[in-house]
Amino acid sequence: MARKGFIKTWLLDWWAIFCHELKQIFSDGGVLLIFFVAGLAYPLLYNVVYLNGILSDTPIAVVDDADCSDSRRFIREIDATREVEVAAKCVNMAEAERMMQERKVNGIVYFPRDFGEKLARNETAKLSLYADMSSFLYYKNAMIGTNFVMLHEIGQIQMERYSLAGMTEQEASQVIKPLGYEDNNPFNRAFNYSFFLISAILMIIIQQTLFYGMSLLVGTQRERNHSFASLPDKLEGHGMVRVVLGRGGAYWLLYLGIGLYITFIVPAIFGIPQRGQFTDILALLLFFITDCVFFSMTWSTLITRRESVFLLFLAMSPICLFLTGCSWPTVAFPGFWKVFSYLFPSTFGVQGYINLSTAGGDISAAGTQMRIMIIQTIIYFGAACACVFAENWVIRHKEEIRERRDALARKAGIDKADDARIIAGE
Amino acid sequence: MNNWQRILSVARRELRIIRNRPLYFMGSIGVIAFCAIFFLTFLDHGLPDDIPIGVVDEDYSTTSRNFCQQLDATQLGKVVHYNSFSSAREDMTSGKIAAVCVIPEGMNEDIQAFRQPKITFYVNGLYFVSGALAWKDLLTMVNLTNGAVQREVLRAKGYNDAQIMGMIRPIDIDTHQIGNVTTNYNYYLSGILLPGILEMIVILVLIYSLGAELKFGTSRHLMDTSGHSLVTALMGKLLVWTLAFAAIGFVIIMLLYHWLHFPINGSIFNMFIAMFLMIFASEAIGIFIIEMLPVPRLALSVGALYSVLGFSLSGFTLPLEAMPPYIQGLAAMFPIRHYYLFYVQEVIFGAGFAGWWREVIYLLIFLFVPLIGLNRLKKAYIHQNFPKE
Repeated sequence: MARKGFIKTWLLDWWAIFCHELKQIFSDGGVLLIFFVAGLAYPLLYNVVYLNGILSDTPIAVVDDADCSDSRRFIREIDATREVEVAAKCVNMAEAERMMQERKVNGIVYFPRDFGEKLARNETAKLSLYADMSSFLYYKNAMIGTNFVMLHEIGQIQMERYSLAGMTEQEASQVIKPLGYEDNNPFNRAFNYSFFLISAILMIIIQQTLFYGMSLLVGTQRERNHSFASLPDKLEGHGMVRVVLGRGGAYWLLYLGIGLYITFIVPAIFGIPQRGQFTDILALLLFFITDCVFFSMTWSTLITRRESVFLLFLAMSPICLFLTGCSWPTVAFPGFWKVFSYLFPSTFGVQGYINLSTAGGDISAAGTQMRIMIIQTIIYFGAACACVFAENWVIRHKEEIRERRDALARKAGIDKADDARIIAGE
Repeated sequence: MNNWQRILSVARRELRIIRNRPLYFMGSIGVIAFCAIFFLTFLDHGLPDDIPIGVVDEDYSTTSRNFCQQLDATQLGKVVHYNSFSSAREDMTSGKIAAVCVIPEGMNEDIQAFRQPKITFYVNGLYFVSGALAWKDLLTMVNLTNGAVQREVLRAKGYNDAQIMGMIRPIDIDTHQIGNVTTNYNYYLSGILLPGILEMIVILVLIYSLGAELKFGTSRHLMDTSGHSLVTALMGKLLVWTLAFAAIGFVIIMLLYHWLHFPINGSIFNMFIAMFLMIFASEAIGIFIIEMLPVPRLALSVGALYSVLGFSLSGFTLPLEAMPPYIQGLAAMFPIRHYYLFYVQEVIFGAGFAGWWREVIYLLIFLFVPLIGLNRLKKAYIHQNFPKE
């Protein structure tokens, strides 16, 4: 009988807390702005920004002091690549340098006077590439464009030279390329910038908007002298799990919807590859959202005032992006930051999502990440319960804490009354 | 009291507020210090090394072993051996290795007999930097192997080394990387990310500082202190914050270009100009947002949404040219975009005034933006007729 009563009260409490939290969320404009404007519109905005994702036809200037058929052919071939476009033919380096400084071109290819002669004498002819490093994509395009043309040209010239040395065409081609290669970039053929970045940003938006929104609410409650963690009075300080699961349930439900939209609908709108199984990605998403809810609950405890979350933690968003390892490889993380990255669900959520959805692996491709997320969820759940407990302790000992704080302020020489007079004229 | 004294008393009041709320200190100096430590230590190496590359060696010959050893010896790559392609592929899909290289059975024999065997490699382009570097490393290794085989053949035919070089490598490219000789990601990213974060901090802190007056209902007292002039009130507050932010900006520029010796073609003094102008422009944006939306919670949310976009729209990673045209226009709204263009002229090219004078004008234009809503904020301060939170 007693047992049944416990379960019943548990469920009733849970339901009451759950409904109360949902009401709070929907009656707060700031939270709605973060959840629905940021959560729904930002994925679209970022997709539009990175819509093309590929930089093509980077303009370069050519200075051709050699002026021979070989250099002219080389120039024509560079112009024909996807990466590079010959935007100007300059008479000297000074002119080309000025064009680069004015950002009309992002690279210079220079053929020295002896380019043709050296080729004719069977020597190594050198050309110079000057790349603008203000964005690495300029450099990458200029490098890839000229290097591919160089490799192609080398093949042609070698054929001529080996033929002159008395080889047949068959023999020559065998000596020139004894070892062939075939390169594949199955998940991102053209090294498209948006495929990896958007996938990462989408998952980070889920985590960050949830955290900011929840922190806004916690801050508001505290400002109104309520507590986010106030337990039903009759429980007399028990029932942390009810509060955590009740509040968590409200966010979980909301973010299930927002998460489904972000992980399935947004990529479909913008043609980001979705190669994974629906059920696999859904499983990942459920783990990720659960993890994010408890993560946010734990850390939002630090927020004492409504606005402070942005001032303190907005800069964490770009940091989280780096910690996912999708741009800077995880193997190159310094040890401390590697451990630090284990604090965030996004580190594993992003990796898992990229592996499953964008690369199209099966569920085992995100196995490690999911296992870590489960461990994180358990730890953050415990931490969230502990936070509720701590919050209740603080509420019960409010007076003592205030006295302590005032004593500390007096010790530091801060006169609160004087400050209040100067700040608010009281 | 004359106006100067009023400005000073507002400033003194602002200092008291800062002392009373640790949030200001944490939100400005705390955040920028953490971010500076993070980015500068995180990217300390400049370029990742020892990127794991999976090799499936089906040949087991001296040539293939040699190939693996050479690949392992490159600074960029580290070889991880696999027995089957499927397990290697699985690890590549899950991001454990950046690439898979398959050495076909009988490669050694085929090379000796000139049957032109093919090495196949697969790169995971979703882990961007490691994928691109692994790909480059593998291409280099194949080309080097080809060169080595050719050299053996030509030596056997009696060519001398000078002739052989001409045969193997008829054309060579001599690459000059202007502004970042070593492809150092730390120079590249930290040089813009840290000012970007400072922009974010300036906007948020200023919105909060001005919004808190409404939130705590102290705005009338502020107006009393400033002699009922909003301009005086703003001057007093800005005096404190501009000095604080300018000090942070000064330290960032010194840190990057003096203490850590980031390469700079121009002059560090001009970078101070860029940094200070960017800070002023960001302050103007912060003031403008709170003027238009004198509701602290909404203004801060809008400020947050705005400043996060700055990182992408500065165009220092994906260049602006690659974005849709209507987005390109938007980028002009972000002070960090103009800071970046200034930086390109001064740090990368060392072009000096002739290169960046336009950016100075654009950044100065930002300073006029807050004039639009002065009256609106003044009314809000006096009537306190907006929702407080």
